[in-house]
Amino acid sequence: MDYVWHFGVIWDYRMVFVRGAWITAQLTLYSTLIGLSLGLLFGLFRSSTIAVLRAPAAVYIEFFRATPVLVQLVWIYYSLPILTGLQLSGIASVSVGLGLHAAAYFAEIFRAGINSIDKGQWDAARSIGMGYGQAMWRIILPQAIRRMVPPFINEFATLIKLTTLGSVLAVYELLHEANNLINNTYRPLEVYTALAVAFAVLIYPIILLSQRLERHWRTNS
Amino acid sequence: MIEVRNLHKYYGALHVLRGMDIDIAKGEVFSVIGPSGSGKSTFLRCLNFLEEYQQGDIRFDGRLVGYRETAGKRLRASPRDIAAVRTRMGMVFQSFNLFPHKTVLENVMEGPVIVQKKPEAVVRKLALDLLEQVGLSDKTDQYPSKLSGGQQQRVGIARALAMQPEVMLFDEPTSALDPELVGEVLDVMKALATGGMTMVIVTHEMSFAREVSDRVMMMDEGLIIEVDRPEVIFGNPQQARTADFLRRVVH
Repeated sequence: MDYVWHFGVIWDYRMVFVRGAWITAQLTLYSTLIGLSLGLLFGLFRSSTIAVLRAPAAVYIEFFRATPVLVQLVWIYYSLPILTGLQLSGIASVSVGLGLHAAAYFAEIFRAGINSIDKGQWDAARSIGMGYGQAMWRIILPQAIRRMVPPFINEFATLIKLTTLGSVLAVYELLHEANNLINNTYRPLEVYTALAVAFAVLIYPIILLSQRLERHWRTNS
Repeated sequence: MIEVRNLHKYYGALHVLRGMDIDIAKGEVFSVIGPSGSGKSTFLRCLNFLEEYQQGDIRFDGRLVGYRETAGKRLRASPRDIAAVRTRMGMVFQSFNLFPHKTVLENVMEGPVIVQKKPEAVVRKLALDLLEQVGLSDKTDQYPSKLSGGQQQRVGIARALAMQPEVMLFDEPTSALDPELVGEVLDVMKALATGGMTMVIVTHEMSFAREVSDRVMMMDEGLIIEVDRPEVIFGNPQQARTADFLRRVVH
């Protein structure tokens, strides 16, 4: 092992990483927002007693869980424009694709969280005259959210990592920027090492936060 | 005030209420006793439509509970109508079912503020009065998990009363309590009964039922075995099944 590391290269090109991280953050933010809102909807549909809501939600969730994310992304990027004439930018394609993908997983987290709340809470809410919406929003969800937070944060961390798939669609997120940088510097070891560290720096605080919250709520409930 | 006619309830193939007829009058304290699995709680939960019934009528102030009839066909009532009936009947549960993410005061205020849309200041005063009535003035800002079972159940009673209901339904309110905490809950219920509240109480507390009830209904296997004044039910039951049951629970 007489490889000589030149991490100076990384410092010279630090702005490339900052730029990539900014795109990665955007992809993560958009796909999380899409995933959470659709996920809540599908999660509620899937636990509904109404079959016309439940069945499509189930099909959606199982379909997205049963296909690779990369296939979903390239399908949206290449097939959607041909079928609908709707040409999305790379960033939009990845955000939508990952958002739709995450929705399937978020939906399952919502459903499991809602189901974990004691049926007596529904009884109590109904007995004071609450309808489904009020009971769900004021009584069930606030309790369920706490149980959902750890799996949510896991899924969020997964989503950050999945944004690297954007490099396939020519989105200048961290991995894509890193690959370009290697073409200029011929320093793959340094660049990929720095890339791994960059992701760890992005993701580790999130995991830490999840653990803190979990502990906080366990001692306060 | 409550009229039940030929009430039938099924869980799938299981026939749990098998034709019940009973009237409960305004101001009456009406206790329901019977072995576990006899359908007492199911009967109570049908009264405010927490459970659907499949046949027969429950009428509250003359209006059918849970269903509406159009052109001879019976359809489920609108969620709004079902909720409206429920706000007129307070319910107290065996397992309290307080909202664990809300303080004692918030638990009591939730219904009047959110469902009945009453002004918060008015409700706060009402809630504080009720909490004083049940002896919990010093616990208003606590969360339910910090309270004993007896205290939680008294909050449960205050929460139900906050809707200013016309009837109170009690579903085995003391069955989940440690024996030394039963008394404090029964005292609150006794005060309510004395105050003229209409109450339907599913209970295993025989001496309590005997003391406060105007009438006691004995149920078994989804049927009414007998209904009578407590002196008769407990002193001189007319049905062998009632006598058997009482002999078993007293010892």
